[in-house]
Amino acid sequence: MSETLRRVEIPIVITIFCTLLQIIPFYINIPPLEAASDTFRSWMILVATCSTFIGLMTLIMIHSKTIQKQSKGWYYSVLMIIFMLAILLTGLPIPEAGLGDTNPMFDFLFKNIYTPLGSTMYSIIAFFITSAAYRAFRARNIEASLVLLSGLLMVCKNAPIMTTMWPGFVTIGDWIFDVPNMSTMRAVIIGSALGAIALAVRTLLGMERGYLRGGGEE
Amino acid sequence: MSLLEKLHSIDRRWIYLLAWIAVLVPLANPLGLPVSIGRDSTSYYNYIEGIPDGSVIMVTFDYGISAMPELYPLTVATFHHLWSHNFKVIVVASWREGPMVMDIVLKEMKPAETYGKVYGEDWIELGWFAQQEVGMAALGKDISGTLPVDYIEKKPTTGFPIMQDVKTAEDIDLLVSFETGTPGLPEWVRQWGTPYGTPMIMGCIGVMVPEVAPYLQTGQLGALIPGLTASAEYEQILKHPGLATAGVDAISMSHLLVIVLVIIGNAAYFMSKSGGSS
Amino acid sequence: MADLLGVWVTVFFTLAIYTFLYKENPWFRIAESVYLGIATGYIITVDLKYLRDQWTGVWSSTGFMMTAFAFAILIGLLWYFRFSRKYFYLYRWPLAIIVGTGIGQAMQTIIFAQFLSQIGGQISLPLFVAGDPLTSFNNILIAIMVPCVLLYFWFTGGTHEFGAMKVIDKIARYTMMAGFGSAFGYTVLTRYALFIGRAQYLLGIPPNPPEAKMAFITIAIAFLATLIGYDVVKKQT
Repeated sequence: MSETLRRVEIPIVITIFCTLLQIIPFYINIPPLEAASDTFRSWMILVATCSTFIGLMTLIMIHSKTIQKQSKGWYYSVLMIIFMLAILLTGLPIPEAGLGDTNPMFDFLFKNIYTPLGSTMYSIIAFFITSAAYRAFRARNIEASLVLLSGLLMVCKNAPIMTTMWPGFVTIGDWIFDVPNMSTMRAVIIGSALGAIALAVRTLLGMERGYLRGGGEE
Repeated sequence: MSLLEKLHSIDRRWIYLLAWIAVLVPLANPLGLPVSIGRDSTSYYNYIEGIPDGSVIMVTFDYGISAMPELYPLTVATFHHLWSHNFKVIVVASWREGPMVMDIVLKEMKPAETYGKVYGEDWIELGWFAQQEVGMAALGKDISGTLPVDYIEKKPTTGFPIMQDVKTAEDIDLLVSFETGTPGLPEWVRQWGTPYGTPMIMGCIGVMVPEVAPYLQTGQLGALIPGLTASAEYEQILKHPGLATAGVDAISMSHLLVIVLVIIGNAAYFMSKSGGSS
Repeated sequence: MADLLGVWVTVFFTLAIYTFLYKENPWFRIAESVYLGIATGYIITVDLKYLRDQWTGVWSSTGFMMTAFAFAILIGLLWYFRFSRKYFYLYRWPLAIIVGTGIGQAMQTIIFAQFLSQIGGQISLPLFVAGDPLTSFNNILIAIMVPCVLLYFWFTGGTHEFGAMKVIDKIARYTMMAGFGSAFGYTVLTRYALFIGRAQYLLGIPPNPPEAKMAFITIAIAFLATLIGYDVVKKQT
């Protein structure tokens, strides 16, 4: 029995069934099938949401080993777990017990710790991009010169001081956006749509199995 | 060490310090540089002005905390524009942190006191829907079924007057999206634009702008605010200056710094090349 | 008092991240660990709230719906067999459901939304616009550039050896380079916009709390003192 359940054909058949359940009702008008597809879609969202604890479990598995062995930086792992449990427990959706998004501790953790950390993490890239532009952005050949030129012109367009000095930067920037950029992206969109369709056909034929790999780590 | 060698081997922390100065100084001491109004902000403004009163507009938060500095000013300006008219506004989020960002918007804007808007009649917040594109599809088919409880009062969605005639995507007259990545425009176009023909306008972070251009050209996207500079222009048009306008001088100085550094870097490169070849 | 504490905590964590610009250091590691923990915990709270709202909505309305909800939770529990060496194959079943539904959903309209509409948009561009030579020129350029870029990524049949393909490849590369330069320009805007937003908070620019400015100056001096001081001491010893 276990050997039968282990067969990779089972998830492949499930994938094909779920894919066809969404595609067929869209193109062929069969009201009961359409209703089943809608209900299944809402049901599937519940199944997907149930995977929410995987991240928590993975982190606890990895960091508890670090803490146990007192490896390098184990105190950071302690800190991580403390804050994870703090926001999780205070944010549990039980408003009857004073928990949830109106809980003062949850609000404090979200507003004063999560918000600044989340905002700042991505803003630091501004410095790296400036440094990289100074060190690596070189007009070594025609292609690199084109990237450099269009990049600088777009930076000029986005800087109000430059567009005030010469409004032509706006015209040039708009032209770069409307013509070469739009052409490139249109080709990318068409190409990626073709790629997605090919991937879907491969999945329906059971040839695409990459998503079935992994798992089994304890 | 020659000047060229110094330029090549400069510690990158000096560049970081220059970037700090280029941003902090104009913020602390505004230069008052003028902002010229571009076609994108004008188009976005005119699009909303062209929507008839009483229309149902769905605003979707397709961004979270990470993009707040760039998109929050636009969000505030857009809500100011929408709440200044007689529209029915329904707020949803495809990113988990969307509702928390909306909480911050509400705290600042106070729609009841400032605009006389009644929750449940003039506007409603339905919260976050799961599973990205599949969630968008489910939302398009049945809004109240996908988001059965409102976010603010925690009551059944169907009980609010604003939702009485709003069941599916066909009942939405305009979709306004603030985006930072996936899920975003392509997903909305696939699940709302193409099947239901729902018109859409959006504001997005600069990184996303290039990939949006083809949708703008085909008309699948009605109007676009591409980044913070255009948000500042939009605030100027609305005569409602906010954080975007306050940041415009810093944008100018930081971009000027990047331009100068690239020019210096390339000048040093060409000088070293010609010095090496002679 | 809580607000003031909140402002100082916000500034502390903001500057702790920025200390990475000096070099990797314990302040940054603290902020990084805290962020990882809080982000993971926050995601779970939002998901659990969603499940609760779904239950109080349509899924508790009839016996059939309640059974379906319970069945969804049971199937959802299969995700956690990912951690079992013996039964790990069971986690593929809910994964197959998600992947299949997601592919089906995207495939419904991708042909119209991304393929036919873009081709339609391309074909409908008029090559000659009366009284507007610039638009005509732009449309002719687009009519040339888009097929060139598409053909650049065509790898079947060794077509790139033909003479005409070399010209097409060149046009495609130049088009893409100009397009990517545009992407660079907008990337600079985004990254600096994000930094400017944080800087506005640190300087206490309204509507941000004005107390943040004093916190910024104090904590920045403290961080710099510890980082530079540590380097100086390390150099001396």
